[in-house]
Amino acid sequence: MIRPLFIPPGARRAAAARALPVLALCSLAALGCSGKKRKAAPPAEPPPTAIDTLVVHKVAADVSKPDPAAAYWQGLAEGEIVMTAQPMVAPRPDVATTEKVFVKAVTDGKLAAFRIRWRDPERSMAGRLGEFSDALALEFPVKTDPLPPVMMGAAGAPVHIFHWRAQYQRDHEEGKPTIATLYPNASIDMYPMEFKDQPGAHEAGREQFSPGAAVGNPQSYAKGGVDEIIAEGYSTSSVQAGSEGHAAHGDWANGEWTLVIVRPLATEGGSNLAPGQRAFIAFAAWQGGKLEVGSRKCVTMAWLPVSVQ
Amino acid sequence: MPKVNNWHLRRAVEYPYDEHRPTKQWAIVFDLNKCIACQTCTLACKTTWTSGKGQEYMFWNNVESKPYGGYPLAWDLRVLEKLGRQDWSANGEYQGKTLIESAPPNERVLHYAPVDEDWMYPNVGEDDCAGGVAGGSHIPTTPHEQAWMFYLPRTCAHCTYPACLAACPRKAIYKREEDGIVLIDQSRCKGYGECVRACPYKKSMYNTYTRTSEKCIGCYPAVEQGIQPQCVVNCIGKIRVMGFINPPAKARADNPIDFLVHKKQIALPYYPQLGLEPNIYYIPPIHADREYLHQMFGPQVDGAIERYRDLERDPVAAGLLCLMGSTDRIMHRFKVERGKAIGYDDKGAELVQVPVTEPVIERAAFDAKLGAIRNNTP
Repeated sequence: MIRPLFIPPGARRAAAARALPVLALCSLAALGCSGKKRKAAPPAEPPPTAIDTLVVHKVAADVSKPDPAAAYWQGLAEGEIVMTAQPMVAPRPDVATTEKVFVKAVTDGKLAAFRIRWRDPERSMAGRLGEFSDALALEFPVKTDPLPPVMMGAAGAPVHIFHWRAQYQRDHEEGKPTIATLYPNASIDMYPMEFKDQPGAHEAGREQFSPGAAVGNPQSYAKGGVDEIIAEGYSTSSVQAGSEGHAAHGDWANGEWTLVIVRPLATEGGSNLAPGQRAFIAFAAWQGGKLEVGSRKCVTMAWLPVSVQ
Repeated sequence: MPKVNNWHLRRAVEYPYDEHRPTKQWAIVFDLNKCIACQTCTLACKTTWTSGKGQEYMFWNNVESKPYGGYPLAWDLRVLEKLGRQDWSANGEYQGKTLIESAPPNERVLHYAPVDEDWMYPNVGEDDCAGGVAGGSHIPTTPHEQAWMFYLPRTCAHCTYPACLAACPRKAIYKREEDGIVLIDQSRCKGYGECVRACPYKKSMYNTYTRTSEKCIGCYPAVEQGIQPQCVVNCIGKIRVMGFINPPAKARADNPIDFLVHKKQIALPYYPQLGLEPNIYYIPPIHADREYLHQMFGPQVDGAIERYRDLERDPVAAGLLCLMGSTDRIMHRFKVERGKAIGYDDKGAELVQVPVTEPVIERAAFDAKLGAIRNNTP
């Protein structure tokens, strides 16, 4: 890549202004680490182990709130899952950016919670132009006999996906960012229909100037943290309406995400998990800092059996 | 990968989908010798289509100064740098590789991904001249070897083989059968931005508010009613004409676009070597550096400039240039006879009639009847 021939002075200032809050955050984080008082050491965690089945442990606790630090995770061994750069369709990553994810799973009898941990050196939430979000997806087969292709399913053999993005989490927890929050120095005169702040004016009148929103594309609305998706092959994923019973929250620290995705055990028209029943799972991860999005992702190459207690 | 016929390059090229030309193909011809970069086209487009949230930075139509201007920053240099040196054969066949043919194994198109700062300076390099102009100097001949610049107005080229369409993993981009306009389905787009990376002309743009990618829609609601796009009808320099282009074998001499591109061969595609068969065509500037023009318009540029210089001896071509900007309607046919140029719609009805040479009327400086001095202010 060649550099622009000429960078106007304003561009440098803009870049510097962007860098400052990042520096401030870094120093705060450093203070937080060094200034923290040492607590009593938590019980030693069993080391991650390679697994051939993901056990969803029954716990006597409400798991509806996605909490990576909840007590019920303690003492459970992490399953180590090997990932590879998505191998089937271009565009794809040249190398596996996310080589492994580490997984624990619990259920309270109604919901299942999956705790996934993976290395990602850069926390990316997307928002501005040319930026992409860190993301992780859990995939389940809708029918298990026969199993659909693990790569996005096939026509008549759907897969059920819970797709979390750091960007969607920010939507859920802080509200959908506006241009003013993404670009604090942006100067905007007025948007169409802004003058219609009178009785009888409605948001839909304004949204007609935002094509994606005007046609009801789910991508254009604030997200609930995790998208529920049904897919029947490449290019077919479609976001399902409603978000009953599923939730997600991830924390990023020290170059690592720890994320919890909660889903109902039983769904209508989607995948089902139940004690004693055949069930499977697969994983995908995206590193926004490496411009990964869509098919630019790392994936597991086969269905991993799931055993619900 | 299928091979498709690209007449710009006079050879078959690789493309992920089979060749399928639409019934009609939207096209614009721009006369770069007349553009003054007033940006009326840019604002006509902006106020019509991109005044909403997330579209603040978008210019589906822009005018940049060449060689130094570029929106986004240095888009052409960065794409050409990626592609590397490529060559044309003496007979006008392209010997090099296109963006799709030179895509790395894990990609669909050779591309670069612009970041937000690249979009922030739409006027960078405006009016900057290649080379220095010493005080008091003048430039007596063309082409100007030392000091030159020209304005390049750009819209989406609604390519015959769009890179954006080839790159979209969701197949959310489609080319319309009725007019060849390339659109992003706003209900299917997931904002992966693959089209933004892939389009070498950088005419797909990401909307941070709707989280979908958007692009020039060729003013299809107007085109469907037989009206030319906003950037064309608002051009005060009358440098543009929009119509429908045929491939060379089906070219009609009375079709304005076919006449300029195929018959007269004075309008050329820009950066044809990228391999997408773009459908905006330029009459190259006669004064600019030839090596630069070769790079931008290919080996036909010398002949095009020669024929353009000779237009005064061709009343039909001169008449057609007079028709540019003379009607809002889409001209499907034109005719020049008895000093008049006439444009017709698709049903053969006359749209407009203009004199090829404006009549000259000489009047006395003093109007004796009114007792007033005449001046030239209309």
